Amino acid sequence: MSSNLPLEVVDLTKMYGSFKAVDAVSFEIKSGEIFGLLGPNGAGKTSIISTIVTLEEPTKGEVKVFGNNVRKSKHSKFELGFVPQEIINHGFFSVEEILQFHSGYYGVKNNQKRIEYLLNKLGLFEHKDKKVKQLSGGMKRRLLIAKALVHKPRLLLLDEPTAGVDIELRESLWSFVTELREEEGLSILLTTHYLEEAEQLCDRIGFLSRGQLIKTGPTEELIEGHTSRFMSIILKPGTAVQCSHEFFIEQKDDVLTFKLPYQYPVGELLASTSLKLEQIQDIKIREGSLDDVFRQVVGGGAL
Amino acid sequence: MNAELRFRPFLSLTRREIKRFLKVIVQTIVAPLINSSLYLLIFGVSLGRNIDLQSGQNYLVFLLPGLIMMGCLNNSFANTSSSIVGSKFAGELEDYKVVTLNPWQILLALSTGGVMRGLMVAFLTLLVGEGFIYYEVGHFVMPENPFTLLYFLFVGGLCFASLGVSVAFWAKNFDQMSAVGSFVILPLIYLGGVFYSIDTLPPFWRSVSEFNPILYFINGVRYGFIGESDVPILTATILSLVMLSVFFSISFFVLKKTNFKRW
Repeated sequence: MSSNLPLEVVDLTKMYGSFKAVDAVSFEIKSGEIFGLLGPNGAGKTSIISTIVTLEEPTKGEVKVFGNNVRKSKHSKFELGFVPQEIINHGFFSVEEILQFHSGYYGVKNNQKRIEYLLNKLGLFEHKDKKVKQLSGGMKRRLLIAKALVHKPRLLLLDEPTAGVDIELRESLWSFVTELREEEGLSILLTTHYLEEAEQLCDRIGFLSRGQLIKTGPTEELIEGHTSRFMSIILKPGTAVQCSHEFFIEQKDDVLTFKLPYQYPVGELLASTSLKLEQIQDIKIREGSLDDVFRQVVGGGAL
Repeated sequence: MNAELRFRPFLSLTRREIKRFLKVIVQTIVAPLINSSLYLLIFGVSLGRNIDLQSGQNYLVFLLPGLIMMGCLNNSFANTSSSIVGSKFAGELEDYKVVTLNPWQILLALSTGGVMRGLMVAFLTLLVGEGFIYYEVGHFVMPENPFTLLYFLFVGGLCFASLGVSVAFWAKNFDQMSAVGSFVILPLIYLGGVFYSIDTLPPFWRSVSEFNPILYFINGVRYGFIGESDVPILTATILSLVMLSVFFSISFFVLKKTNFKRW
């Protein structure tokens, strides 16, 4: 049955000899969604992406792009844009030639307008006559993104696209991708090592560990479900207070620390502690991050 | 899927392949041409003056079609194999798998690029060779059967270009790649009658030579140029078509089965 979901990964298993790189992974991406696949090195992220783009054959299970099985239907390839993890060196060709060839590989003719749009948006226009080896690391990555978008795909797969890219460039890159999502309805599968980036961008997150998808969910829900909100009230020096609130966890010198449910109003807590405003020097709130969720769900493994 | 979508990816890859060798024309066209010119000078002009062929043909005139075909076969093979090996290193080969190109389009586009280089080297060798002939004999030699000449150059070039595709996709490293070139292709070409007629060989070696598929391509071109051949031209034509189907089938099978991952 045909479906409008940009991506469905169903019971995907990938073995390399006796090593199970991907173990019965299932997930889907909804239209216009950014889905982040996070996990330590060797968790199976790239194997999953390689299977989606048909570089690898699944040992079991299937992958559908807009309802079409990627192994059976060529149509799915028109819908896919792929940014690989490793830089591709195109030898003798210039940036512009590479994009022209790539357009042709997708059967797109007279694509100069799109190519120039991408070159401008990705800050490559003035480098269009350079060869890949003459570009900086960041430019090479941006070229990979331009290549992936040259045929206006509806699903973009980004395998660690911002590795080695400086903060400014990373931010401009993400604002461009977000713009494309709004203008062209792009759905995105992203793997990244930057958890902060994933937290900011991804609507939903999937945590992979040793080939298994161990947790998926909307980013905010995961953070709220697996972390706590801590509030510290710093008292003016010499203020003597005895606290026995239900959320109170500890007092260290002049600092009272509370562990609050995410939706609990801060004002209500302040009112219920019977502290007077003139006794309070400062208030600090620390909310949980995706980093905390990662540590809790996946464990201490390096990302 | 419309014809445009079927044809354009093929066209784009073919254009890439042709542009690739034209960008390094000194390596891909000029160097093989100098190679052929040296053969013409040493074997054709210098040593050839002391060689009397049974047919009474001038040795330089006899040698030129062999060299034309040798240049065509070598360069068709070299173009596809070096393009693929280079793409394996650069990771570009993965692109071919990810985009909408299918194995037939990849095979045909790479082979067309290969045969274009082969034909270009062949044509330039012919021009240089005619210069030598004019110098030696006093007049140019016009091809006796130009269409036969073109046919064998084109089919032979396609066969070797597709052979380059299968060998380069199959090879796991440079050693394997160069082993095929040095231990298989080169001896077959040299023993395929480029420099001599197999009629000059003892009966046993003549029979052995008849198993060399390249013999038929070289003699096909020689027939096209001077109207002489060591093998019946009909046999050569039929065998060339058989080889074309065999080489393309093997390449297609290798392309279907192999992975496109980078080295």
